[in-house]
Amino acid sequence: MTIPHPLRVAALVFVATGFYTYVGQMVPQKEVLPPQETVIAANLTTDQMVKIGQEIMNGKGLCFTCHTLGKTEGPFRFPDLSGVDARAKMRKPGYTDVDYFAETIYEPNAFIVPGFNPGMPVINKPPIGLTDQEILCVIAYLQTLGGTPTVTLQTATKYYTPAGAAPPGAPGAAPAPAAAAGAGAPTAPPAAGAPATAPGGTPAAAPPKAAPGTTPAVAPAAPAKGTR
Amino acid sequence: MMNGNGGTLNRKMLFIFGPVTGLVMFAAVIWMASQLMNREYKEPYRAPASVADATPREAGVNAERAAAETKAKATPYAEVEYRTFPVVGSRVAIWAVAELHLLFAAFVLAVPIFAFIIEVIGYKTGDMRYDRLAYEFTKLLSTSFSLTATFGAALTFMLIILYPKFTNYLMSVFSPTFLPYILLFFFEAFFLYTYYYGWGKFHPLVHLGLGLGLNLVGTGIMMIANAWVTFMTSPAGISDQGAVLSVWDAIYNYTWMPINIHRFIANIAFGGSVAGAYAAFKFLQAETDEERAHYDWMGYIGNFVAISAFLPLPFAGYYLAKEIYAFSQTLGLTMMGGAFSWLFIVQAVLIGNLFLAANYYLWLGMGRVEGRQPLQKFIKYLLAGVTICFMVWATPRSIIATVSELRAMGGSTHPILGYFGVMSAKNTAVNILILTTFMSFLLYRRTGKIAAVTWAKKGHAAQLLIFAAAAIIVVSLGVYGYFVEATVRIGLSVPQVSSVLFAMVSITAIDIFLFRGANKTGEVQWGKMPAVSQYVLIFIAVTFTWLMGLMGYIRSGLRQHWHVYGVIRDTSVDAFTPTIGFATRVVSVTVLLFFMLIGFVFWLTSLHDKPDFEREKTKALRHRSGEVPPELAGETGRA
Repeated sequence: MTIPHPLRVAALVFVATGFYTYVGQMVPQKEVLPPQETVIAANLTTDQMVKIGQEIMNGKGLCFTCHTLGKTEGPFRFPDLSGVDARAKMRKPGYTDVDYFAETIYEPNAFIVPGFNPGMPVINKPPIGLTDQEILCVIAYLQTLGGTPTVTLQTATKYYTPAGAAPPGAPGAAPAPAAAAGAGAPTAPPAAGAPATAPGGTPAAAPPKAAPGTTPAVAPAAPAKGTR
Repeated sequence: MMNGNGGTLNRKMLFIFGPVTGLVMFAAVIWMASQLMNREYKEPYRAPASVADATPREAGVNAERAAAETKAKATPYAEVEYRTFPVVGSRVAIWAVAELHLLFAAFVLAVPIFAFIIEVIGYKTGDMRYDRLAYEFTKLLSTSFSLTATFGAALTFMLIILYPKFTNYLMSVFSPTFLPYILLFFFEAFFLYTYYYGWGKFHPLVHLGLGLGLNLVGTGIMMIANAWVTFMTSPAGISDQGAVLSVWDAIYNYTWMPINIHRFIANIAFGGSVAGAYAAFKFLQAETDEERAHYDWMGYIGNFVAISAFLPLPFAGYYLAKEIYAFSQTLGLTMMGGAFSWLFIVQAVLIGNLFLAANYYLWLGMGRVEGRQPLQKFIKYLLAGVTICFMVWATPRSIIATVSELRAMGGSTHPILGYFGVMSAKNTAVNILILTTFMSFLLYRRTGKIAAVTWAKKGHAAQLLIFAAAAIIVVSLGVYGYFVEATVRIGLSVPQVSSVLFAMVSITAIDIFLFRGANKTGEVQWGKMPAVSQYVLIFIAVTFTWLMGLMGYIRSGLRQHWHVYGVIRDTSVDAFTPTIGFATRVVSVTVLLFFMLIGFVFWLTSLHDKPDFEREKTKALRHRSGEVPPELAGETGRA
């Protein structure tokens, strides 16, 4: 019996489509969930901040999409973060590690590590949009990479001064030691579950399109270019 | 137990009691069933109004009703953020409809491009075969255009219904573009139908003018729609609060022009492949040699268009990827190194299959030419080249392995195969694949011909030299890429691509002059192709369609939990990025739906060539009455 051509064509379409579907099932299957919002209580200790900072860097912060940790051999697209705190203390004269980390996060184009291209987005704006408290937690974790964490939720930076805290540079504005964590003025925590970025209307910085192939000099949010 | 008369009585009683109970129970079941099945509405008993006063309950019910009415009237309007689609959910519903719209739109935009070019060739050469071919392609357009518009309307309404808040935002940003879009759509309908129905009714130049207008308007429509889509990935021209600052900047965002170019070329490749599939389908059903020859030629042209457009497509892809990185390194890395990286392995399988199938079709085509074909001996080398490149391209960087295997390898990267999983190897493989396919086409073109020009030897040598130089440059830069930093390595793809493009252009140019006035060793016999070649054409069309679906998913899914990246966050239940397996299943279902619908388009188009029902009936009657012999009846019956 000869199978009519239309049936053969239909079978071919089914088999080809089925084969590609099968290939799709053979590769690793991973469902990527939207980043979970972290509720940061006002009385967190530095140790707790370190833990939360690590979670944020692995999740919402998307840090390890670009950075590596413990990679010893190149090539590197962005700096490896092993021992970064030790380097942070020496990167810029007059900067503490906290100052340096804050600058890299709020203003990543201010300093580009020699040998690397700009490429890091501004972290406190969408699409990543970490809150000031979340950024302090990230800094706490970064301090553990080659140093000792000192920040608390009352630590003021050039970009953020917690309610009741002294602005950076003012007497007594130095990062509080870990032992004192949790004893200072309360930091208004974000409402439980409140997203750092308001759904549906979050501000975003979107640079006008420069000439094709060029990159904007300063581009907030995603298009910003800077790296550490 | 009771004895004597009493016991007997009891037994009798029991004897009666059993059936009676059974009957009662039976009657009860019947009654209950009839009550349950009787759905006739019966008014409940109400005391007559004359004897009953208004009860407090009635007053309460009325008060409640009035309160509910007052509350309903006072309810303020609240914008709904999402609505749900039954069974499959909103995302899958929108995904399928958008993809079907896009596939038909791509077809409707692509076919006029090559129909126009073929018509121009026919006009310039005076060969009416080209004119007939262009018309044959155009016949596919009319129904496809209606389906494109239908899916476009479905997509618009579904967006408004299912994602009202997000759609409202897009509408507010792009409101100045909608009226021009509608106007262009009207012009598209005008040009398309006039072009189709006016075939042979106008002066050829007027008709060509209509074809040109159709293409310009179609491209304009595509570019406007691309602005909306690309804005979602790389928004621009808006304030920190999302308000519009410049509509032009919103349109001319980072990925707009790369997508315009990429889609323009990809549409031609896709349209060519689907038109080739149509020709293949008609070839398989052809009854005469003449029909087979025509559809073989049509299939060849369709495939030629598809592969010609396909070859530069990876370069357009590089440009798009480069602009995605320029907009956001995070987005670029998510695409190439994050959740989506494995999709590029699936893509490699698809593109590898396309290259293999395209080459196989060309090699089979060499059999069309009369006589012995010495060039066929090169096929095995080309096949080896294509296969090796395919394998390199499909090699993943990280291997899926068990824990013990991972330990043995010292990580997820294989100590040897790992070297083939990186960009340097893949760029090299794809460039060599392109060169090999180009070589296949060149061999096919030369089949049955011998160059007759005096400088033939030098010409061949120059071609070989250029080809070898391009291959050496591509491979050398690929190897060099292993020893340099990423920033340098990314830049190496430019000279690799440039050398391949240069080779293709210069070798073709030499070939045209080299084979001008060539001696023919055999004629091309159109229609002398095995049936398997036609199935290859259909396979190519399926693979192209699937590839478009997959790449569309990557482009759209890249935003992850954002409707507009960094501006409008997806807070719906579908905010997560599904697994690749799920995505490929959705793509497959959509592709099958598309082929069902395009099969309907093919069937409708083929009705055009069928004899009228009345004429067919008369022919049958005449044959039955013995008025004419069957062969003649068949002849006269064919329109």
